[in-house]
Amino acid sequence: MKKYKFLLYPVMALGLLAAGCGADGDDEETADTGADTDQETEEQDDESAEGDGTDEEAAELDGELVVYSARNEQFVQALLDKFEDETGVEVRALHEADPLQLVEEQANVQADIFISNDVGGLEYLNQEGLLEGGDYENIDSIDEQYRAENNEWIALSTRARGFIYNKDMVSEDEVPSSMEDLFDEEWADVPNGYAITRGGNGGMIGNVSALRYEWGDERTQEWVEAIRDNAAGIFEGHGDIRRAVGAGEHAFGLVNNYYYHQQLEEPNDNNVGFVYPDQGEGEMGAIANAAGVSKVSGGPNSENAEAFMNWVLEEENQLAFVGESLEVPINPELEPPFEDAVPVTELNFQDMPLRELGNYFQDTTRLIEDAGLDLDLR
Amino acid sequence: MTDKYNSHDNQQNTGTNAKVGDSRSPALLRFIGRRWRAVWNGNPPGLILLLAGLVVALIMSVPIIYVAWRSLFAGADSWLRLLDGRIPALLWNTASLTIAVTVLAISIGVSLAWIVVRTDLPGRKTWQWLMALPLVIPPYVGAVTYIIVFGPSGWARDLWEAVPFLGDYALNIYSFWGVFLVLTLFTYPYVFLIVSASLRRMNRNYEEVARSQGYSTSKIFWKVNLPFLRPAIGAGAILISLYVLSDFGAIAMLRYVTFTAAIYFQRASFDTASASVLSLVLIVLTMVILWIEVRTRKKNKFYQTSNSYREPDTLKLGKWKPLALVYVITVFLFSVALPIGVLLYWTYIGFEQHVIDERFFGFAWNSLKVSALAAVVAMVLALPVIYLKSRYPSFISTGIDKLSYAGYALPGVIVALGMVFIFNTHIPAFYNTYYLIILAFVIRFLPQAMQAGEASLSLVSPRIDEAARSLGYPPWKVMLKVILPSIMPGVLAGGALVFVSSIKELPATLMLRPPGFDTLAVRVYYEASEAIYYQAAPGALLIVLVSLIPLRYLLKKY
Repeated sequence: MKKYKFLLYPVMALGLLAAGCGADGDDEETADTGADTDQETEEQDDESAEGDGTDEEAAELDGELVVYSARNEQFVQALLDKFEDETGVEVRALHEADPLQLVEEQANVQADIFISNDVGGLEYLNQEGLLEGGDYENIDSIDEQYRAENNEWIALSTRARGFIYNKDMVSEDEVPSSMEDLFDEEWADVPNGYAITRGGNGGMIGNVSALRYEWGDERTQEWVEAIRDNAAGIFEGHGDIRRAVGAGEHAFGLVNNYYYHQQLEEPNDNNVGFVYPDQGEGEMGAIANAAGVSKVSGGPNSENAEAFMNWVLEEENQLAFVGESLEVPINPELEPPFEDAVPVTELNFQDMPLRELGNYFQDTTRLIEDAGLDLDLR
Repeated sequence: MTDKYNSHDNQQNTGTNAKVGDSRSPALLRFIGRRWRAVWNGNPPGLILLLAGLVVALIMSVPIIYVAWRSLFAGADSWLRLLDGRIPALLWNTASLTIAVTVLAISIGVSLAWIVVRTDLPGRKTWQWLMALPLVIPPYVGAVTYIIVFGPSGWARDLWEAVPFLGDYALNIYSFWGVFLVLTLFTYPYVFLIVSASLRRMNRNYEEVARSQGYSTSKIFWKVNLPFLRPAIGAGAILISLYVLSDFGAIAMLRYVTFTAAIYFQRASFDTASASVLSLVLIVLTMVILWIEVRTRKKNKFYQTSNSYREPDTLKLGKWKPLALVYVITVFLFSVALPIGVLLYWTYIGFEQHVIDERFFGFAWNSLKVSALAAVVAMVLALPVIYLKSRYPSFISTGIDKLSYAGYALPGVIVALGMVFIFNTHIPAFYNTYYLIILAFVIRFLPQAMQAGEASLSLVSPRIDEAARSLGYPPWKVMLKVILPSIMPGVLAGGALVFVSSIKELPATLMLRPPGFDTLAVRVYYEASEAIYYQAAPGALLIVLVSLIPLRYLLKKY
């Protein structure tokens, strides 16, 4: 053993070096927080000053928080950075995760928090007993219909499915006005055709579930097969679709409404419009879905997860959750970040309770697979 | 029990050669001992060395065996569902792409090698290494640059539309042709390098005989040169077709679906049964290619007579000179100048946008960490395998050697899939740690370390081992204390190869990275698929620059 003692010193030196680096990182973090809070309210400045003085917050919360998120990284990372800055908890994020990953890992739970853009996925996990409820402060700011029974998941922002179209290529009345329209082959003939996402996309899964609720399985499968045959582009995500439609690569695309908001904010390629389908008398209404947060049962950092749930329910952070996605906050007290968003009250929505999506989740993925849309890209 | 007996026996064996069978041991053990020595031709390795080799072989092959195993129990339901619709379509997509890329890459590779090695092309010495350069551009990086230039909103569209009579922009990069072109442009150097090396070694005598028979140059090429080049072309073709089968990044970015992409997407949506069924089909496909290689190698044996070797003469291009030059320059423009130019442009923009920040260095550090550790582990694990193979030949050491190649021949998605299965269900402590990425890299690239080490080891005389053994060292100690120092340069070169391959690797990293642990390759894939090119380019450029490291080594090897 003594022979290897000489190894001890370099190892110790490395350890010290690593510790030194770590300390550096911490310093920079607090410096960052200081800079950030300058832009925020004075109240928070005071708070952070207090925090620095007593180190109370840091003593309460440390360690890490593992977040699985099914949403696009662009929408979530800023929120997680904000949490990290304000609490000192190190956030480790896995973006664009599938809800079924939590099912597969249930014997070896990895995630503390799961963030999803599909209530179907959230409620499905809840029914599988993989989520954990809680009594959070400020929970009442979210209407009960947007939460699971014991707050196992809480939806914070909402969206509707619809058609983004390029105004240079087609006019509003040349865009389908209902989901049913897409059965028709004629839409394959619009200039450059239309675009949809791959069937594995969370938004598409919710869309198909809603149609199954409305039409039953057989007709829905025919619909999936129709769009699979007729779409000119099948993309990995909705961001690709809004950019492609904006650039004139396709005449229109099936997306969530906030992708339209995002495209309008672009410096160019922004001559786009949006059609909320099925708004007529007696029609089913636009298909709605929501994005929300949930606490994973048995996660490794349960305390931090609880803190995160409370933190994200603070109104300021509810807005940060909506963030760059430009969705509409569910909390009616909050101003939507995109001014021209159509208020939820003015839209005719499908009369399905969002929770119902959870009952459809698993069979929907199977149906999409049977229709062959799960693997196509084009 | 038998192992114990044998090791005991070995030590006796090394000490004094005479006392073979211990009179006290039972007859059965003695019989097994004798058989054991017969297997090793009377020279069995020590227990520690053998165990080390066996452990390596086990680690290398288990993920793949596990995937195959699971696919067999995926249930008839999964099999039928996939066989019905999915597998035929995927088979067609995959096979047609593989064949098309291989054929075109061979044509480009062989013709370029011929022009550059055998003709009086101006600047031929420079072209010889310029034409190998696409090797340092990972195809998924190449695909990004092609999307930027030829994509539906790319620079080419603006040019196209500026020309009045062309009408609508008609190039579609997201098609079979796009994938075909991109994969060909970034894989042809495999053939080019191997064929150039063969051409340089070709004996002039045969050509002169042919010429004396009145053969024209083109006839000589088809009748004399090409048959000689067949082994080299075959070797290159295997490398290329195996690469096309395993590619994930380029095809996914160009929205083409082959088996690897299908497996990745099935895994991403946790349809593990389907993913393993598709994997088994892909494993079989790979085996078919490897089998073809073995078959053709057996049939084609050509001998070069070394005693009358004369260097081949340089052919005059004459009026073909401008055309040859245009051809070479065109390939260079599309496979090197264009991608590097695009990367430089967007890196510059990224630099101005300050994307090369702390976060970027974090990703670079992660890449560096896993790749460097993988290189070190691969160097260590390669040693017992190559030492066993070279000094203790038997079917056991050959088996260990073959099993160590399992992950090298098969796509990264399958290795990763196997590791996810194993670690999630059986070894949860390591699940979701970056150690899994390192292990995947080692399984994927260990043979690169082995090949480099073997080349060095073949230069060290076994007499040195014998001398050390006679002084009482057990085999593993001989390997570490006597052999290792003299083959260190080769081992390090192997480590460098593993390092570079690891830093480029994409699909296994994507599937195995723990939360919050992104590498440069993952970021390039993500940013590019979100069309945020100024963020993707710096990382991609860095990967290309790092890949330049082993180029000198590769150029020397061939």
